[in-house]
Amino acid sequence: MKKTIALLSAGLLSLSIFSGCSKDASSDDGKVKIEFFHYKREAIGSFDELIKKFEKENPNIDIEQKSPPEAETVLKTRIAKRDIPDVIGIGGNSTYKELAKAGVFEDVTKDSNLEKIQPAYIQMLKDVSEQDKVFAIPYAANAVGVIYNKAIFKELGLEVPKTWDEFIATAEKVKSASKIPFYFTFKDAWTTLPSFNALAANTQGDDFYDLLKEGKVEVDTRYKEAAEKFVQLTELGHKDQFGDAYSDGNTAFANGESAMYLQGVWAIPEIQKANPDIELGVFPFPAVNDTAKNKLVSGVDLQLSISSQTKHAKEAKKFVEFLLEEENAKTYIEEQKAFSAQIGIEQKDAILEGLQTNFDSGALTDFPDHYVPVGVALDKNLQTLAQKKDIDSFLDTLQSEWEKVQNRK
Amino acid sequence: MEKNYVTVEKNAITPPKTIIHKKRKKISKNLAYYLMAIPAVVLFAAFHTYPALQGIYYSFTNWDGLSLVYNFVGFKNYINLFKDTNVLNSYLFTFKFAIVATILVNIFSLAIAVGLNSKIKGKNFFRAVYFLPNVLGVLVVGFIFNYLFANVIPDLGEKMNIGFLSSNILGSESLAWIGILIVAVWQACAFNVILYLSGLQTVPVELYEASSLDGANKWQSFWKITFPVIAPFFTINMVLSMKNFLMVFDQIIALTNGGPGRATESISLLIYTGGFMGGEFAYQSANAVIYFIVIMLISVFQIKVLQKREMNM
Repeated sequence: MKKTIALLSAGLLSLSIFSGCSKDASSDDGKVKIEFFHYKREAIGSFDELIKKFEKENPNIDIEQKSPPEAETVLKTRIAKRDIPDVIGIGGNSTYKELAKAGVFEDVTKDSNLEKIQPAYIQMLKDVSEQDKVFAIPYAANAVGVIYNKAIFKELGLEVPKTWDEFIATAEKVKSASKIPFYFTFKDAWTTLPSFNALAANTQGDDFYDLLKEGKVEVDTRYKEAAEKFVQLTELGHKDQFGDAYSDGNTAFANGESAMYLQGVWAIPEIQKANPDIELGVFPFPAVNDTAKNKLVSGVDLQLSISSQTKHAKEAKKFVEFLLEEENAKTYIEEQKAFSAQIGIEQKDAILEGLQTNFDSGALTDFPDHYVPVGVALDKNLQTLAQKKDIDSFLDTLQSEWEKVQNRK
Repeated sequence: MEKNYVTVEKNAITPPKTIIHKKRKKISKNLAYYLMAIPAVVLFAAFHTYPALQGIYYSFTNWDGLSLVYNFVGFKNYINLFKDTNVLNSYLFTFKFAIVATILVNIFSLAIAVGLNSKIKGKNFFRAVYFLPNVLGVLVVGFIFNYLFANVIPDLGEKMNIGFLSSNILGSESLAWIGILIVAVWQACAFNVILYLSGLQTVPVELYEASSLDGANKWQSFWKITFPVIAPFFTINMVLSMKNFLMVFDQIIALTNGGPGRATESISLLIYTGGFMGGEFAYQSANAVIYFIVIMLISVFQIKVLQKREMNM
């Protein structure tokens, strides 16, 4: 028995060697190493350039960029191990809410950098995290519009629709010209979300999030109109819309297979990669008939947070402020076809000009799916809705799933 | 252990030389075995048993996988599990998938193994070909098939005017599981063929000679000789493939990610997505504990039943 214990403890001791190899934050050459972890894999190239510039200006700081696939899951597992990157770049979504609640980020509510940011985005972070404190500086924003092929619109003599009825009429015209109105890519469940977000945000009612804060979920009634309109849209897709994935859709749309593409502006660089000559335009998603009430869905696509546990808070902050500098923020939004969260930095790209009026007037609203708990799986339920077109069962499932998730807490 | 140790010490007081010699030899001989066995035990305990116990512990809490604090909630997670239609749905899918896949894999691999065991030309070449899927990564295979289902098969279906094949079957709620089944069976056959082949080589040739003297045809000699002799291999193949298919995960990640809707959401996938992405670590830990028990019971049941059958044959 003694011997077993001895052997076991020897084994355990040897195991403790593994746990001993935690990383030391500063590297050998006296440089301070800052880990920058973000979830925008499309932006790795842009950040590489910016980091090079920063390291030139600050030779004693070494920035290590990390952006693995499934970044949010990786981040959560790392945080569960209490291995937190110094600077974290994610979106204003439920991951942010969870991490903010867990105390992962430094509180930046009183940070002077927030003064430069559009107040709508700061409010979104507060809404999504259900807290009055702010734990991240919004950096870039995205938007969900309708991306359209200008050449096809010209060929069919179509105009940019402003209301829901016009929108459907336009799509019907495309269909009657035996072309595909919308290229859906429902094999990837998340691609159901952009159009549903635009519909839900404009039809769920202004007090939806307030009720949610009180713990009242009313999706079964509030999402009804959005679900009906969503089903209407799915009738105007193409034949194999359940078998195509996001990348298939980007390529197909780039090659002129459909007149419109219901995606966020983040798809534009991918479309242009597939066909650099395509003439693109974007117009705000006409979710309702009252044009004055039609808001553009725009959320915080990338926000910068500093770990509350970092040993190099000063250097981390320096890097965040560097990224916020006007010139660097411009580089980022130009390359990523995003919008800056900072006041006064405009996206000048001709493709995106159709959305600019909404940014100027502040007619913006957040992504509703950022408020849906992940366990509810809104995207999967939408996938089912698109196939079975059973609106009542969709609404019932969503409501009961949401209540169940609340119950488990 | 304890007993052994004491006797050694006792003998040490008045040592008849030969006994010491023997005992020492025994210890040093055993020590070598311990040194061989203990590292594996320690590693297994540290990386498997300990996390498993931790999972059981967390299943009684409300930990979301991130927070610094959590509370004990008793059996609440377990009670909620039985009310969750998503869990029921994934059990139904997983069992449907596992049962069909197990049957198909065993039929195909046994047939292929019999073929590869006969005296045909290029036997070794065929054996290598059939083993190939086993060395390919599941994800790689998954992505290749993903491409086939999305592009090649719909084109074929269109040309041959087969309605249900002309669109990606992975996008259809009713057919997606068949796509996964095809990939899983194709790949799993490789390993089971090897097991059956090694089984077939244990069948004594004399038995076939005797049976042919008695005038048995090929079919009879297969059912009366081959199959009974390789019964233990049949048992192990059934148990292993059932267990593997019940834990199906990689293929689904590569092909459908559980979709469309929740049509191909296996239990492992549900535990992973809910536990690590959905912030329901404790709840899905409870799911995992139940599933562990279920798989264990099924495996024990299979072994008991199939071994009894071995005896009867």
